[in-house]
Amino acid sequence: MERLSNNYWKGASKDAPFRSAGLLADKALLTVLLGSICVFVLWPMVCIALRSFRDSGGGFTLDQYRGVWHTYGRSLGNSLFVGALTAFFCTLLSVAVALVLTTSRGWARALLMGVLLITMVSPPFVSSLAYIQLYGRRGWITYRLLGLRWSPYNQWGVIWMQSVSFVPLNAMFLQGILSKLDTGSIRAARDLGASPACILRDVVLPLIRPGILVSLLLSFIRSMADFGTPTIIGGRFNTIASDIYLKLIGYSDLEMSAAMNMFLMAPSIAAFFLYRRLMRQCNAITAARQDRQAALDLPLSRCGGVGILAILVSGLFFLMMALQYACIFLTGFLKVSQGAYAFTLQYWEQLMKYNLTSLWRSVGYALTVSLAGTLFAMLFAYYMERRQVAGRSFFDCLVTLPYMLPGTCFGIGYILAFNAPPLRLTGTAVIVMANMLFKQLPTATKLCSAALTQIPVSQELAVRDLGGGHWSGLRDVILPGLRPAFLSCFVYNFSSSMTTAGAVIFLIDPGRQLAVFRLFDAVYQGEYAIASLIATCIIAIVLAVEALAYLITMKAGSRHVS
Amino acid sequence: MYLELKHIHKSFGGRPVVQDLSLGLDRGGLLCILGSSGCGKTTTLNMIGGFLSPDAGQILLDGEDITASPPEGRPVSTVFQSYSLFPHMTVLENVIYGLKFRGVKRGPAREKGRRYLEMVGLAEYANARVYEISGGQQQRVALARALIVEPKLCLLDEPFSNLDAALRFRMREELKGLQRELGMTMVFVTHDQEEALHLADRVAIMDQGFLVQEGSPLELYRCPASSFVADFLNLDQLVWGEDGTLMKIIKKGEDF
Amino acid sequence: MKRIFALLLCLMMAFSTLAGCSGGDNSTPDTPTPPATTPDTPDTGTQEPAPEAPSTPALSGKMKVVATSESYIDLFDKFTEATGVEVELLSMSSGEVLSKLRAEGGVPSADLWFGGGIDAFMSAKDDGLLEQVQFDAMGQLTPGFIDPDGYWFSKGITIVGFLVNNSLVKELNLEVPQSWSDLLDGQYEGEIIMSNPAVSGTNYAVVNALLQKLGEEEGWAFFEGLDKNISYYSRRGSDPKNKVTSDEFAVGITYLDRTIDALLADYDVTIVYPTDGIPWVPEGVAVFKNAENADAAKYFVEWLFSDDGNLRQLAEIDQKDGIKIIKPSLEGVELGYDTSILMDEDLSRFGAEREAVLARFEELMGDKAVAE
Repeated sequence: MERLSNNYWKGASKDAPFRSAGLLADKALLTVLLGSICVFVLWPMVCIALRSFRDSGGGFTLDQYRGVWHTYGRSLGNSLFVGALTAFFCTLLSVAVALVLTTSRGWARALLMGVLLITMVSPPFVSSLAYIQLYGRRGWITYRLLGLRWSPYNQWGVIWMQSVSFVPLNAMFLQGILSKLDTGSIRAARDLGASPACILRDVVLPLIRPGILVSLLLSFIRSMADFGTPTIIGGRFNTIASDIYLKLIGYSDLEMSAAMNMFLMAPSIAAFFLYRRLMRQCNAITAARQDRQAALDLPLSRCGGVGILAILVSGLFFLMMALQYACIFLTGFLKVSQGAYAFTLQYWEQLMKYNLTSLWRSVGYALTVSLAGTLFAMLFAYYMERRQVAGRSFFDCLVTLPYMLPGTCFGIGYILAFNAPPLRLTGTAVIVMANMLFKQLPTATKLCSAALTQIPVSQELAVRDLGGGHWSGLRDVILPGLRPAFLSCFVYNFSSSMTTAGAVIFLIDPGRQLAVFRLFDAVYQGEYAIASLIATCIIAIVLAVEALAYLITMKAGSRHVS
Repeated sequence: MYLELKHIHKSFGGRPVVQDLSLGLDRGGLLCILGSSGCGKTTTLNMIGGFLSPDAGQILLDGEDITASPPEGRPVSTVFQSYSLFPHMTVLENVIYGLKFRGVKRGPAREKGRRYLEMVGLAEYANARVYEISGGQQQRVALARALIVEPKLCLLDEPFSNLDAALRFRMREELKGLQRELGMTMVFVTHDQEEALHLADRVAIMDQGFLVQEGSPLELYRCPASSFVADFLNLDQLVWGEDGTLMKIIKKGEDF
Repeated sequence: MKRIFALLLCLMMAFSTLAGCSGGDNSTPDTPTPPATTPDTPDTGTQEPAPEAPSTPALSGKMKVVATSESYIDLFDKFTEATGVEVELLSMSSGEVLSKLRAEGGVPSADLWFGGGIDAFMSAKDDGLLEQVQFDAMGQLTPGFIDPDGYWFSKGITIVGFLVNNSLVKELNLEVPQSWSDLLDGQYEGEIIMSNPAVSGTNYAVVNALLQKLGEEEGWAFFEGLDKNISYYSRRGSDPKNKVTSDEFAVGITYLDRTIDALLADYDVTIVYPTDGIPWVPEGVAVFKNAENADAAKYFVEWLFSDDGNLRQLAEIDQKDGIKIIKPSLEGVELGYDTSILMDEDLSRFGAEREAVLARFEELMGDKAVAE
């Protein structure tokens, strides 16, 4: 294309210098993107890998690896077991919720969407606390209401808790696929005599099969890397991620935990490559739609067993979520005394007396990370999807690695990588924000890539045909076209940054306290009411910022149209 | 009358799309609904297929009132403009999908499916995936899928609009052949008057929701009811013989 | 088009910020004190004994503190008042501190380490991660509670006992356990919760102290017996207390202090001081090696232990009075219990045996692996 534009416009266009500036900017941008991925993802990973081969004297050893299989083979087995079942149950729930969400109308839809949006913001610890409060050995539901004597502190508690907490993101993802489903296929099936139940079974579910598989794999990888849930409610049940965490905080054995990370990543990387293949298939099915003016018209109540199951299961899910979040909100305003509950504002007043700077610092960091991260993800997705960048699949895989590691390890990797000049970043705000940004980049990039497939390549070709370069295509077609993705990406980044704990716990230094760690402190001291209030504040702030972002993008969008 | 539409009305958001439409078709006939885009022809087809329900009026098929029955409940099948094949099934699976709701066992169904595939000339593609075959072949799969359930009425919504001219011509012939062979009653929607002329036993011309004229192709060509019809049919391109037979069509402005 | 350019410009700026402000966002007042060139700070050095009632040395900058809780802020505010050194506080468990220190490879991001089980401090000293501190008032501190070379100090001691949930005891027809040996009784099966000694310095003290008291063989037999009754070993130190107050478990092995006493007001629980001895563990204070503001941190240690007022305030914040054992001359703080109930412990074994004890304990826990 450069050849064409250069020949045709040679010398004549006053745009020429502008265009070569664009070319330069294009190259510079690509270098910055890939360079920072090397620095902030590859280098910390390399540091972790190197550390796993280090003996106590600083020399080379394979001892860690010799020990790993022997000692932690069982935990890895546990991880795989939990990962598989979590993936299964979580996907089951997510499909049900997505189906109900896509087929419901009016206020019911708005309500369900609202619950899902709230539950997307999941401050750490308090969800587990609410879970214990509701379903523990003396839980409100399990013991006081149902009279059950069960203990949640085992693998089933972990599986259940993980399944439920992964649902909101998965359900949103599946709902996106469902709403883009080819309504023509459904019409054709109806026309041939298929009942709603048959349509669901024969057409809808097979069509979203790649999406279901993606949900299975993402939940699997996420479950493998989750150390918080097994740590808090696993009881005697260990997974490899919770063992790594224990190795870090109990034994401060960096070498061993690094080796265990390598151990953990193997199944996750395998799952990732499977994911990539499926995702491509998934895009092929959803992208080739011509006929999607109508929404999915499928009355679930008439869909036989599967439909009823979907309604029941998602009903259960929404009920549990409502209970869980009600529990979180209420805990902040209830005082327990000798088994009696009373409403109180005492904890609220106590919180207000606290120094709230950590909350505002959290907001500031989260905003910075969201803006920079979203822009980064958009640009990265563009170069990966649309341009023949050398080493494309390498970078694509690289960017996903942080998703597979327990957050604490990615944090330790950052300290290892950035504790010496010329890249000495420890003790700065930059290291914290960079860690958040790159930890969230895998998901953010996926969101943007999905949106990119909606922008026809022909639009970009048109720009080039008219004499613009890649740079103009990016500026005039891609970025404006990614406006909807901007919103979802921003929202994801913001809520993750506000609630992330594991990854940055080792990176925060005194004087840069974040709200999440206030929460952590409160939980640790047993001040559950304060913890709940902080969580409530975080949720409220995230929702407010999301609403604001929504309004701004919508306004910008309409101005853009007019 | 085998198919009868009686005083059908349909509006979308207060805007009338089909107004007082009455039509009839004999068993084994092929009716073309012809009109430019927005005339209401596809809406009419969707009402016959059951995807839309009319605001007023009745649809009778073989003496039975089907106005209120859902698409899956009426003995009507449709060939969609975009084919709407199931991308996750093979060609054969697509074709026999509808049989499953008519109590046909899997074995006989596959048997019948192969016969129909042979009929549309795709026997060797039975196990191919639908995205592996060409547009014309997809068109035939969609046709076989609609015909295999032996509907009382087959609807075709601009089925050839995505094909190139040569293929369109061939498919037209094949469709006509199949229709005669099976004695299938068909309603065909198109904006192409040449297609209508070639295919139809009866042609209905619609404009802005109204039926303008209905009759055999020759009737329409000989006695256009209005200047609109004459215009739409490009009658100035026709040369008539002394005995009143059509001698040739002069293709003006298309012969470059 | 201009808008997009502006966005990109922002991105560039973000990256230049990334590159530029690696010194931290505290740009103005925080030029670090040149470490060596402060001859006019008389008594923060490691050598010279200071004159009585030292004048406040010229200190500057900020002191970064990792502590077990944020509640110490009042004490540090007082320090700021006295010296002008601003204090930034972050709460971290000692295991996290140690991991972080090791990962940082000798360049700590904090100056002072305040609180946490002494075993972590011993371990850090062995790794060469701590800085020596010497000051005059050291002589008044009980030997054994401070490192003989001055690498770590004790700011108090944590004692361990049981917290018992009365309603569960009633419901399950249990007796309130009075001693460690009582815990072996089969009636408590699945009703006892304790923290993993690898995570909790307090519970590590329980293990090490009982091993010292009972001897190697009998000691391990005790823990094997105890293991049968323990539901699980929580991975957070505060869980036993929290789980007992929320009616999840009948007996928790937990630290005891006045915050536990205060629970009596709101919860139906009983506090038990085991009759066959109370394990205890000092809580450490230390200065990190190569710390940016080591001078301030060193002076803080001296400031804290030299002035009884400061120690009284510390005891008040800590809600416990173990500091009295460390500095017997301290007035105004009374130990709420007789030291005779404390177990005899050789603290030097805490650090030396840690790895071996934990490894054996892990094996013991792992044997049962997953119940149910």
